[in-house]
Amino acid sequence: MTQNKITIALAGNPNVGKSTLFNAITGAHQHVGNWAGVTVEKKIGTRTYHDTEIEVVDLPGTYSLTAYSVDEIVARDYVVEDKPDVVVQIVDATNLERNLYLTTQLMELGSRLVIALNMWDVAESRGDKIDTTKMEEFLEIPVVKTIGNKGEGIDGLLDEVLREAGKGAHHEHEVSYGNEIESKIIELERILVNDDALSARYPLRWLAIKLLDGDENILEKIKVSPMATQIDNVLNTIDREDCEASMADKRYEAINTVLPQVCERCVKEVTFSDMIDHVVTNKYLGIPIFLSMMWAAFEVTFTFATPFMGMIDMFFGWLAGVVAENITTIWLGSLLGDGIVAGVGAVMIFLPNIMLLFLMLSLLEDCGYMARAAFIMDKLMYKIGLHGRSFIPLLMGFGCNVPAIMATRTIEDERDRLITILVNPFISCGARLPVYILLAGAFFGRDAGSVIFGLYMLGIIVAILSAKLIRGTLIKGKPAPFIMELPPYRIPTVKGSAIHMWEKGSLYVKKAGTIILAGVILVWLFSAIPSPGVDAAFASEEILGTGDSLMGALGHVIEPLVAPLGFDWRIAVALVFGFVAKEIVIGSMGVLYGVGKDEDALGDILVAGAMTPLSALGLMVFTLLYVPCIATIGVIKKETGSWKWTLFAAGYTTGLAWIAAFLIYQVGTYVGWGL
Amino acid sequence: MANKNKMFFALAAGILYVLFGCMQIVEQFGIKTGLAELLLIPGDIFGGLCLVVIGAVFLYGAKELNSGMNMGVSYVYVGILMSLVFMAVYVLIIGASLLEVYLIQNEDYLEWRIIDDIRPGLYLGFLSLAGYVAWRGRFSLPAAK
Repeated sequence: MTQNKITIALAGNPNVGKSTLFNAITGAHQHVGNWAGVTVEKKIGTRTYHDTEIEVVDLPGTYSLTAYSVDEIVARDYVVEDKPDVVVQIVDATNLERNLYLTTQLMELGSRLVIALNMWDVAESRGDKIDTTKMEEFLEIPVVKTIGNKGEGIDGLLDEVLREAGKGAHHEHEVSYGNEIESKIIELERILVNDDALSARYPLRWLAIKLLDGDENILEKIKVSPMATQIDNVLNTIDREDCEASMADKRYEAINTVLPQVCERCVKEVTFSDMIDHVVTNKYLGIPIFLSMMWAAFEVTFTFATPFMGMIDMFFGWLAGVVAENITTIWLGSLLGDGIVAGVGAVMIFLPNIMLLFLMLSLLEDCGYMARAAFIMDKLMYKIGLHGRSFIPLLMGFGCNVPAIMATRTIEDERDRLITILVNPFISCGARLPVYILLAGAFFGRDAGSVIFGLYMLGIIVAILSAKLIRGTLIKGKPAPFIMELPPYRIPTVKGSAIHMWEKGSLYVKKAGTIILAGVILVWLFSAIPSPGVDAAFASEEILGTGDSLMGALGHVIEPLVAPLGFDWRIAVALVFGFVAKEIVIGSMGVLYGVGKDEDALGDILVAGAMTPLSALGLMVFTLLYVPCIATIGVIKKETGSWKWTLFAAGYTTGLAWIAAFLIYQVGTYVGWGL
Repeated sequence: MANKNKMFFALAAGILYVLFGCMQIVEQFGIKTGLAELLLIPGDIFGGLCLVVIGAVFLYGAKELNSGMNMGVSYVYVGILMSLVFMAVYVLIIGASLLEVYLIQNEDYLEWRIIDDIRPGLYLGFLSLAGYVAWRGRFSLPAAK
């Protein structure tokens, strides 16, 4: 029996050639609009085939039909509510396993399905042999080979669509979820059948499955059901996360039972990548493993760099000696020795650490582990109100916050993006590392690596808590989920990792020769000019780096603001100049504490009495949290397009830094720590 | 049988790593185990936690293998890889100290002896190295069916 008019829906994963097939079926007879109430594109086309007018509705591309995104809700609501005569699922023949996951869900919806096995030519060219007859037998669904971009198989597909639409009784397919879950499904079905509104609209088994799946859209619908309490009672007897995971496992189990029988080479061997992924993405071990790997990276960064730092220190010590011996003009000798050599040397000494940190991060990234880190953090990110995609820009923030903030452009939702931008400065960039290395090395000895690791973790924790706070107050709403594919693990090449290390690390050298050089010259100049009312010569020993210099006067003005944190005027000034670039904090301290005219390194001078372990810890935390550098502020303004959010970022970070350093110093002093 | 060997290996390695990791943490809190000198265990919270994590990976593998789950081999494999990574970290630390002594001639390292930088993460790594050498190329799983 043929019908005069039928409606078919095209469903499928993203990038399986759905639009191409839609165009091949409908030609020019289509129009584009939006789905009701959402900005998801809706395409409808028509085709007359064998006296039947076929309306073709192109559904949004989705990986599953669990309501993780608007696209998925739109797709499944259409299938459930508008009840198209046939759903055509376009399956990418080169990736059967992933595509069949959606098939299992469409089957559960009770749809009449036809599979368009698209791109089968590509699959066959690489040696996959797909037996469509066997596939039809196992799935009990018609399967038609198509090549959308060549228009091949379209007629065969439409023949099958008409045949399926004309069939009488429809046999629904089920995935078996095992005794425990099946008993819960039955229990829920028995309750749901008493809700007339829901049972008339949705298949009961499907509703029960979605409830056990933790489908938020369905859980919302249940809230207004007269059976809500009874349903909740059943749901409270299960661990929802475990249940959701086991159900996904069962679907894949079903797919993997069918796959080896319908395709000779589609069965994926369990590779080393799979084995590693099985462990590093483990629910309980994933995050501890990630933290362990990061600790190892910081331990190497700190300890292995130490002798190389010693070499650079020796070089700058020698250079200071050459300057002192050969430059007789006092101000010039002071500028070169106390200003440039002391300031730039204090920054350049940390080049080995910067390079090693970037090398470690490059190795983790190049081997493919960082993609797993993003994957294991995704769930946590979602819980705290950040988009899963936010983790990549946050990770990039370990290098530099400027490109990291620019990388938030990959986040489509404006609110998700804004939150990611606002919390990104808490991720400790490479420029802040010299401050930690100097202070942790000087005050915490062998524990320096752990202290630095702790600071990086603190930055992540503050970013997370801030995101939660902002999401709960200023930017309300729920983040959209994302699906990320994991690349296979690779052994990183020395050349590739070295190039990545150099790309990032060389920026540090460039900065040392430009912004930092200019900054320390400015600091030197201000510290060489006598403050008004002081009778002393420019750049003389009585003035340089003392409270009688212009810098000293400025420092004394702002000192009361930082005195409760245990900082003196020199640190206050260094922090102000750190706004230009964080490395200048160290460069400025080098100038202001007189490293150039002293044989001792800056760390030794600080330990000798200029700071205590407690104030050093406070300074590290303040440097971690306070207003990001001017370049980062600039990019926040550019990316948010708002002065309001830019000023908020500056004020919030500095306020938080002040409170944290205040608590560390005052509470620590009160209980007698580190004095 | 091969998996049984891996299970016992994972159990032994897991217990050792967790034990030594805990001792490192405990030592950091000033609680003397009396074994620090003998077994070269420093007080180190984060380093200790990392050893506990490695131990947990091994023990998880032992548990899975004991339940007849082949994927438990993955935990043994990753546990070995992680312990080798940490072994390499401690080798680098010794390398850095050698540079301090012989290249920089740092005064702070005049009395340095190689034993000063030996850590449980280093010598326990030899156990994993043995496991890796013994089973290299034999860490595999049957294809999914």
